[in-house]
Formats: sequence, structure tokens, C-alpha cells
Amino acid sequence: MDTAVSFRTKVFLSITATVVLAVWIVAAVVSTLVTQSFERRDAQRTAALVSQLQREFERRGVDVARRVEAAADSDAVQRLAVNLAGQPGSQLDTSQYFAEAQTLAQEQSLDFLELVGPDAAIISSAEWPARFGYKEDWLPQAEDWKAQGVFLKKEDLADGSALGLITVRGVKAGDKMLYVAGGQRLDKEFLESLPATDGMRLQLYRNFEPLPSPESLGSKLAASLVEDVRREPRELTRVSDAATITAIPLRGRDQQLLAILLIENSRAELANLKRYIQGSAGIVGGACVLLGLMLSFWTASRVTRPLRDLATSVREVAMGKWDTRANVSSSDEVGQLARDFNGMTEQLVEQRDRMIQAERVAAWRELARRLAHELKNPLFPLQITIENLQRARAGSPEQFDEVFRESTSTLLAELGHLKTIVGRFSDFAKMPAPQLEPVDVNQMARQVIQLFEAQLGAPGRPPIETKLQLAAEAGEVAADPDQLRRALRNLVLNALDAMPQGGALTIRTLRHDNKVAVEVSDTGEGLTPEECDRLFTPYYTTKQHGTGLGLAIVQSVVSDHKGTITVHSKPGEGTTFRIELGTANA
Amino acid sequence: MRLPGWPWLALSSLLIASSLAGAVRPRYGGILTVELSSGGTAIDPGGINTALSAPITETLVRFSSRGEIEPVLAVAWQHDPDFKRWRFSLRPKVTFHDGEALTGTSAAPSLLAALKQKYGEVSIEAGGQALVIASDHGMPDLLEDLALPNAMVLRKSESDPLIGTGPFRVTAWEPGRRLTLAAFDDYWGSRPYLDGIEIEFGAGRGRADLFDIPLGPARRILPEGLATWSSVPRTLLAITVSNAESAPAQALSLLMDRAPIVNVLAQHRGEAAFGLLPQWLSGYEFLFQSMPDVVRAKQLVSQLRAGPISLSYAANDVFLRSVAERVALNARDAGVTIQPTPNAGGNLRLVELQLESTNAREELQRIAELVKAGDGASRLDASKPEARYQFERSLLEDHRIIPLVHLRETYGIGPRVHFQPPPADPFTLHLEDAWIQP
Repeated sequence: MDTAVSFRTKVFLSITATVVLAVWIVAAVVSTLVTQSFERRDAQRTAALVSQLQREFERRGVDVARRVEAAADSDAVQRLAVNLAGQPGSQLDTSQYFAEAQTLAQEQSLDFLELVGPDAAIISSAEWPARFGYKEDWLPQAEDWKAQGVFLKKEDLADGSALGLITVRGVKAGDKMLYVAGGQRLDKEFLESLPATDGMRLQLYRNFEPLPSPESLGSKLAASLVEDVRREPRELTRVSDAATITAIPLRGRDQQLLAILLIENSRAELANLKRYIQGSAGIVGGACVLLGLMLSFWTASRVTRPLRDLATSVREVAMGKWDTRANVSSSDEVGQLARDFNGMTEQLVEQRDRMIQAERVAAWRELARRLAHELKNPLFPLQITIENLQRARAGSPEQFDEVFRESTSTLLAELGHLKTIVGRFSDFAKMPAPQLEPVDVNQMARQVIQLFEAQLGAPGRPPIETKLQLAAEAGEVAADPDQLRRALRNLVLNALDAMPQGGALTIRTLRHDNKVAVEVSDTGEGLTPEECDRLFTPYYTTKQHGTGLGLAIVQSVVSDHKGTITVHSKPGEGTTFRIELGTANA
Repeated sequence: MRLPGWPWLALSSLLIASSLAGAVRPRYGGILTVELSSGGTAIDPGGINTALSAPITETLVRFSSRGEIEPVLAVAWQHDPDFKRWRFSLRPKVTFHDGEALTGTSAAPSLLAALKQKYGEVSIEAGGQALVIASDHGMPDLLEDLALPNAMVLRKSESDPLIGTGPFRVTAWEPGRRLTLAAFDDYWGSRPYLDGIEIEFGAGRGRADLFDIPLGPARRILPEGLATWSSVPRTLLAITVSNAESAPAQALSLLMDRAPIVNVLAQHRGEAAFGLLPQWLSGYEFLFQSMPDVVRAKQLVSQLRAGPISLSYAANDVFLRSVAERVALNARDAGVTIQPTPNAGGNLRLVELQLESTNAREELQRIAELVKAGDGASRLDASKPEARYQFERSLLEDHRIIPLVHLRETYGIGPRVHFQPPPADPFTLHLEDAWIQP
């Protein structure tokens, strides 16, 4: 298959590739710059939010501390402390204070508040009233709770757990200590109080909750981030096409990881912008491709039309139209090429004419030489015979009569020979137009071999084996049977002449497509390439006794049948002549 | 019937009575105002509720404070040896609030409706002041049945939803909000001292002459010198179990630490309940007493693969909610997850069962029916507390009900309210004995 790419395609591809590459590079650079700009902005927003978060923690911590302080200073707590101080051990019936924490929590707007006795047993709990009597063993561990400040803590509730901003105050009850632990919940409301901007989303994962699913957190990225921070608590930022997520670990009093704050900056705006850039680049690229197409057509038409014209002229010259001239339409390289082509064809025509002239002269010389050679042979006996007659005239009449009879006989024989030579030349000159009819080539081949059977079987002749390799599918060809028989007979004669020491004569028929081939092969000495080139030239022969017309006649017959004849031969390997003719129904 | 706890109750009632009884003579007239934190969805035939008595209707007989049958509208009765036919003689000169005389014919419809619920095929023949109740089956417990609140003798009309023979009659009724009663001047017994009673439901201001002090975490600040009256424990707070699988209930029963519920959540207004009937009523409840056994409960739980269990309670009842949360907390200690749920069906339900009478057998039978444990109580011999003990024990071991607390009812009584005679019945506060000092 011809995979050659046209000049117009090359021009189109070059222009398109150049333009598309340029557009892609511009789009990529713009997209990268925009991405970097957005990432810087996200980082700034996240940092601002983290800073705001810290300030909010501090503000809430101060607020929680103030409220818990107020609860600790309340009359109810002071009364409880006094009662505790007046009772030895744990004798005080604290049941009357069961609801006190709820009342105080309501008054101080606290989500969590517990009054815990010196034995760490809960006296009253606002967040889980039923939990009275249970121990809060962590409370007596610190001596100065005020110095501990506010801290994050997991608070157990009846319906689960919550995260709280907690502080503790100790109230002296004689030599004992009453604890007031209170705080506020860190929940959705707390997150909503943070100044998140548009496109920013805050989520709080509490570490005591089941591991969140990607669906609950909104993305696989967030879920994997939570897993990583749980494994190694530290601030982490991850980026996906959809969002940039920063995870901030929130620790408790003992540095245990209590929660993870997820700050998610949507990259939807960036994605939209990128899509816009890519869309614009696509449109520009498409327009450039279209432009490139038009440009390539225009350029190609400007450049390739003279070349196409020149190529057409070359093909016409190749077909034999020597007078073809290329159109010179420009003065550039292509125009120069056309001018050079025209110059070349003119020179070729001149050289062809000169060669024809030379060949014509050579042919006449060869004809003259052959005629001289052919005629010279019979003329010499004629001359001798006539000279003998002249000498016999001087002798006795009886001797003369005898010489006369012999000489006239010789003269008639030689004149017959001359007549034969002249007839052959006459036959070659008078080759008639073939009368085409369907001819079975296999039958023709058998008939030709039969003609030579007697000659081949003559005593004293070196043995020549004949082989017929006839293809059953060879069928019929459109041919003049007399002329074709004559051509085959000439080839067989030629083969027999080529094997003076004997050998093998093979006639093979073949069929391919709409052609039938007949091959005649010998196992003679073979021919040189130079001999092969001149083999079909009339009056050319490599034999000592030949007119040089046999193969010329064969070629003439084949040519008149619009067939082809080729010869394959190498010295020492024999020679094969191959005639190809069209089938009868072609 | 003898009640072992009775001497103590009598003594306490006398002490309360001494504080409530005024030194001055009682006076007729005046309107008693009452505030109740709940109720009011329907008119209680007893007038207000089971612990506050202002009778609108009456039964043929009733239980005395000692649990014995005493006559009310019926003055005499006889029965055949098989208890299939009972004849009652009605009290003469008794009229309904609309003036119609009480006869066998007027009393029969309400009695027939009540008795059919229990006995099915039963007939009542009325003639004058006589009433004959007959059935193909023996009715040895008929007197106890007729003493229960659902056997009130009453009539209804389009204009009056409840027409009885009691000392008070209904004059106004706003369901869920207000009930106004007036003294029935033609009452067959002594006319009440009060001219009327105005009861407001859903109020909790504590400004009325008499108001209930509900249980719950919110402490109410009571006025200085306010007198209170508390009933004997008459409400059983318990968990009923609907699922036949007893292991979770058994574990829960072993886990329950009742003392904190009594002391803190109920503010000492009750007693830890180990039996279905309070000690004062059964006399044997102390035999069921046990301590929480968390270890055994954990062993039971370890054999279970139970998921969260729902414990439902009446919505908007803060006391029940706090108890449910405490139960859940106790259960969590043994690894049982209990989810308190308001007003939802579930395997466990926290319920308050009020005693309707002072009759132990009737009450035990009622509880058994409630937890669908058969009617074995009906076969009990009322004279044999041992049989009741065995039956109650079987009910408890069936783990269809887990008793938690026997609760008292407590009322605040304003300074102008007095009683004549002083309250002697620790089960009910009779407002027909109340009078107001101007």
C-alpha cells in the first residue's frame, strides 16, 4: 500500500501541530499560574481560619471559665460546700442537690456542669442527670484546677458522647474539696460561629465516634486524611481536584487526640476556571486547526500545483509523448525545475532521433552484411561451376557434356538455395495480420512436439528428451493458429539448435489471471545478457547458419497478438523463452 | 384481713392528722381550690384521682382502709352456697344528682356493664330496692369486684356526663383544664363541709389550697409552714417486659440499684420495690429483698447476643425519663445497652401502676393480668397470704415485670384547709371531710 503522505497533508499537519502546541503551552502555563494562585489563596484562608479558631477557643475558654466560676460562687454550691464541711465522711444526703447542676447550667448557659463531691462521686449532673453517684476519678488528680485553665474533653452523655470545652473549679468545703466541672459543647453551632468563607466547609470529626465513611465526610480524601491524622496526630493538608482539605488535630488535657477539624476549601471555582481555560484553548485550537486546514490548502495549491503539473508532464514523457512541455508559471525554484524539465525533454528527443537514425543505419548495415554473407555462399559455387564450364569448353566435347551436366545441376541447386534465402527475407517482410480465434495452447504444444518427433528420433542425432508440462487450466487463447504454431516451431527449432550435444526440451503452459503463458526451455549453453538484449533483433544470430529472422518473427507474431515475449538465460544454465497471451474470453 | 404494716401506718397517719387537724370547729361553706400537675383527660368517678377522694359516684360496697368490705349503697347481701346468685338490698332514700331515686332498676345498667367485663354471661334482676346478680358460674369474689372503681353506680345523660349518688356533683367540666364540683345537698350521708371544689389540671403554681407535688428532678420551693400529706406507697414503678426471653430482664433485675432511685430521683418519696405489692399491703415484700449483683448480671449478659434494647416511658414525664436514664446507666455497667425512648413500643416499658384498692388479692390479680401472666390470682384463697406470696414470687421469677419503687403521693395543703375528722386513711385523702377556715 502506498503510505506516502501528500505535501498538502504535511503542510496541514505542520501548521496544526505548531498552532495546537502553542495554544496548549499557553493554556498549560495559564492553568498552572491560576492553580498556584488559588492554592496560595486557599492556604491564606485556611491560615486565617485556624488563627480565628484559636482566638475563638481563647474567647470561649475565657467565657466558660467565667461561667463556671460564677456557678462555683453561687449560693447553691456554697451552701452545698458548707453542708459538706459540716458532715463527717460521706454522710451528707446530697439527694436534695440532685437537680442543682441543671439549674446552675441553665442560669450560666453551660452545656455541661457537674457538682462532684470530695470522694469524686457525682452529686449532680446537668448533662447526664441519671449519673449521680458515679465517680469522676480524674477530678481529684489535679490540685490547682484554676491553673489548668480550659481544655477539651470528651463528655459521656446518656445518648452517646460529646466534645466539650471544659474547666474545673474547686470549692473549699472545710478540709475537703467540692468540684464544679463545667463547659460548653463544641458542636455544629461552634463550627458555624467560625468565619468560613464561601466555598469553605468545616467538619468536626470526634475521635470517639466510629470511623467516618467517605459518604459522611463528603469525600474519600477527607476520610483518608482523618485516618492518617488518627494514626499520627499532626496537621495535614491534601489536595484533590475537588477540594483542598486541611486536617487539624484537637487534643485534650493529656494530649490525647479528641477531635479532628477538617477545613475544606472547594476547588470548584478553580475547576470551573480551568475548564474555561481548557474550553477556550480547545476553541482556539479548533479554530487554528481550521485555519491551518485553509492555510495548508492555499499553500499547497500555491506550491504543489506546479509540481503536480510537472509530475503530469513526467508521466506523459514516460508514456512516450516526447513533445510534452511543462508549464512554467513562476520564476522560483519550481519554475526553474519546470524549465530544466523542458530542457531535458528536448535533449531526450534529440538523442532519441539520433539513436533512431543510428539504429536505422546499423540495421541497414546488418542487413547488408547478412545479405552479403547469405548471398556470398551460393555465389562462390556458382562462380566455381561457371569457371569449370569455361575450362571444360577447352576440353573434349564428351568431357564438356559431362561437366555441363554436373555444373547445371550444381547451378540449379545453388540458385534454389538463393531463392530460398530471398524467400525467407520476403516472408519476414510480408508478415500478415493475425486472424484471431480460440486456440487450445496445450493441444498446440502437443502438435508442435509431434512435428519434431521424426527429426528427434533420426539415427545418429544426439538424444534430446522432450517434456510437456501442461497446465490443465491453461485453456484457450485468442490467436492465429498458424502464426502461433510458426512461432512455437521457431522457438523449438531454436532450442534444438542450442543443444547440439543433446539435452532436454521442455514446453510448459501456465495460467494466471487472464493470461496464459507458454514456456519453451532448453538445457543448452545459455546466453550472455548482451546476447539476450539483441536476441530479437532481425538478422541477428548466434548460429553459424541462420538468417537471424527466426526469433524476430516470433517477436513479431507475439507483438501482433498483443502479447509479450521474454527470455531468461544464463550461460551454462540453458534458456527459457516465455510467451504470454491473453485468454480467449479476456 | 390483717395487714402487718398497719400499726406503723396508723401511727404515721395519726401524726399527720394531728398536724392537719385544726383546734377550731369545722365550718360549712367555701370553695376549695386544687391544682394538679397532670390528669384531667376524663372525669374520675372518685372526683379527682385515686389518692384524692371527692366522690361523685359510689359503689355498692367498698374496701375499708384495712382492706375489708364495708357497705355503701348496698346495706345487706346474701348469696347461695355456690356463689352463683347474690341478692343485694339497696340503701333507701338515696337519690342521684338529678333527683332520681336509686333503685335496682337505675343501678343495674352500670353494674351489668362492669360485671360483664369479668364474668361474661351475668344477669341482674332488679325489683324496688333489691338487686339480684346471677351467673351460671360461681362468683365468690363478687363483693371485691363490686368494691372496685369500675363498678360505680352511675348514669349518664346528654347534658351531664356523670350522674352519681356521691357527696359531690359535677357542675362544670373542661377536659384537660378544669373540673368544678359542688356539694350535693341531698346526699344520703353527711353533706360535705365545702360548697364546692375547683380543680385545675396541668397547673404547677402551688397557689391553690391543695396541690400535688409531682416527682421529678426540678425542685419546687414550697412556702414556709406548708403542711403536706403523703399517702402510703400506692404506685408501683416497674419495668414490664413484653418479650418472652427472660435473660435480659433477669440481668436487668439483678443490676437494678433501687436505692439511688428512691433517695435521689424520688427524693425519698417512696420505698425500694422488690415485690409487686408494697410491704404495708402484702406483709411479705421484705422476703424478696436483694442486693444488686452485677457479676451475675454480667455472666447472664455474656451468654446473650442482644443488641440495644428499647426502654419506653411516657413522654413529657421528666421523672420517668430520669428513672429510665438511670436504668440505662445501671444496665451499661453490665454491658447491656438500653435505649430510653419516649412513647414508643419496645421490649421494655417503664410504667406506673397505681393501686386501686387496699385489697392485696385484687391488686395482685390486676398486676398479673397487666403483665399477661394468667389469672392465677383469681384462684387464690384470700385468707392465705402464703399463696399470694407464692404467686407473686412466680410472677417475679417469670421476669415479665421488674419492680423498682413503690411511690407515695404527696400533696401540699394550704393553711386555711382543715379536716374533720382528721385524715386517718393513709391510702386516700377524703376531701368530703375538708373544710375551709375563712
